[in-house]
Amino acid sequence: MRALILALLLLAAPAFAEETLSSGLSQDYLQITSTFTGSELTVFGAVENPSASGTRDIVVVVRGPDTLMTIRRKDHIAGLWINNARAKIWLPSYYFITASRPLSAIADADTLGRYELGLNNLRTDTVASDGDPKPYADALKRSQKRAGLYIQTDAGVDMQSATLFRVHVPIPAAVPRGSYNVEVYLFRDGDVTAAQSTPFYVDQAGFERRVFEFAHTSPLAYGLFTVLMAVALGWASTFFFRART
Amino acid sequence: MEIYLPIAQMSVQWPVILGLGFVVGLLSGVFGVGGGFLLTPLLIFYGIPPGVAVATTANQIAGVTFSGVLTHWKRRSVDFKMGAVMVASGLIGSATGVWLFAVLRRMGQAEFTVSASYVLLLGWVGVIMLNESVRTWRARQKGISASGKRSGQHNWIHGLPLKMRFRQSRLYISVIPPVVLGFIVGILSAVLGVGGAFVSVPAMIYILRMPTNVVVGTSMFQVLFVTASTTMLHAADNYTVDTLLALILILGGVVGVQYGVRIGAKLRGEQLRFLMALVVLVVALGLFWQLVVTPADIYSLTGATP
Repeated sequence: MRALILALLLLAAPAFAEETLSSGLSQDYLQITSTFTGSELTVFGAVENPSASGTRDIVVVVRGPDTLMTIRRKDHIAGLWINNARAKIWLPSYYFITASRPLSAIADADTLGRYELGLNNLRTDTVASDGDPKPYADALKRSQKRAGLYIQTDAGVDMQSATLFRVHVPIPAAVPRGSYNVEVYLFRDGDVTAAQSTPFYVDQAGFERRVFEFAHTSPLAYGLFTVLMAVALGWASTFFFRART
Repeated sequence: MEIYLPIAQMSVQWPVILGLGFVVGLLSGVFGVGGGFLLTPLLIFYGIPPGVAVATTANQIAGVTFSGVLTHWKRRSVDFKMGAVMVASGLIGSATGVWLFAVLRRMGQAEFTVSASYVLLLGWVGVIMLNESVRTWRARQKGISASGKRSGQHNWIHGLPLKMRFRQSRLYISVIPPVVLGFIVGILSAVLGVGGAFVSVPAMIYILRMPTNVVVGTSMFQVLFVTASTTMLHAADNYTVDTLLALILILGGVVGVQYGVRIGAKLRGEQLRFLMALVVLVVALGLFWQLVVTPADIYSLTGATP
């Protein structure tokens, strides 16, 4: 639904808005290598054919691939804390949003909800739930926020001039692999008048990627290799230490 | 100093992991145990997912144990027949354990089961060791022998059928107890990521009545095969073996073991067991505390599939 609105908007945008948007990314492919400790993505862009009247706002969203997440609730049973209930919810594995002003000042709740702008407006598709899914979804957002995977900041859009803007998007080390989408929205007087969506990929590279693929394509051979490596190292160490003493 | 682990999918401080491997290797060299029961909880404390911690620790034990088996083989202190019987049932136990672990993980109870089992096992073993070492210590001070071993005396084990001769151990007993013991150790290895020596060594001495000179070698022989099979099964079923994590742990571990053996040679048996009992009880209490104390957030993310 959201994707459809966005697609229609992209097609229709030039027709009804005199102002248009052009934006780009500092890179469109992020490689996770063995020394990866997090990174930063820069989204930059410009408003074209700017008009002098009205309030102009920029909202930037980065969404990771949607993931079916299982969240469990611990209950106090016989003095111990044990997982006792669970919910399965579809949510993006990464979500970043920032704007030129606080979101609530840019547009009304209906508009923000329609475009899923803001952590509170993220649609949560619940597959299964023991009881009300709301506390599970809230807990999930809390947990993702703690992990640095859900980020919402006000005024993170750095306006370089009246029409040029730049946004720094932090990418934590625990970022999931997959296909991401960077969405830039141009608001005029509380309505979206232009939007642009750019894909962005996160994947393991080099040695990390080969290990991961080996482990998943031929798991038995991978297991055997790991055991042999362990045994060879254990054996080699005895020679090394015998030589020294 | 950070490195990204391809299977655990997180970045860790590699000097910390190397240090963990070294410390656990040191302890296992001093006390003559695999150290898995310390390494798995420590990795979980550090933030490694429990599945990866269990499977990768099993692999680390296989590596560290191999050189020990060679040493015992040269000294002819391995009962291969007894070892083979326990390996055979141990492999079945390990397969059962890996399956059990996958079921528990789907139910969301893997973490709790691992912690609770550790609390029970370590608490039990720790109390027995503490009690025994203190008694021996006191007895030595009084100048009397505390050896209460009643070798040659018959117990209920001798009433069981399917008797088999184990020449190296100078035993003629039923195969049922070694088979059951091997099976239990196999399950422990797969679910808890331990070699299981802290269960099998006392059982071999007190229940099977094996001569102490072949107990450690035979136990290591079994541990080697069972942890190797556990690693492969976890790799095949759960994709939870992290080669890079294992590599760092083993590098720290093998060095630690060598220093540990030297320190161990300078301490007396009951002193060693007393210290070991304290370490075991501290780990058990730490894990118990985590089960009892109110968690910061009662909700936790336990799985994500794209």
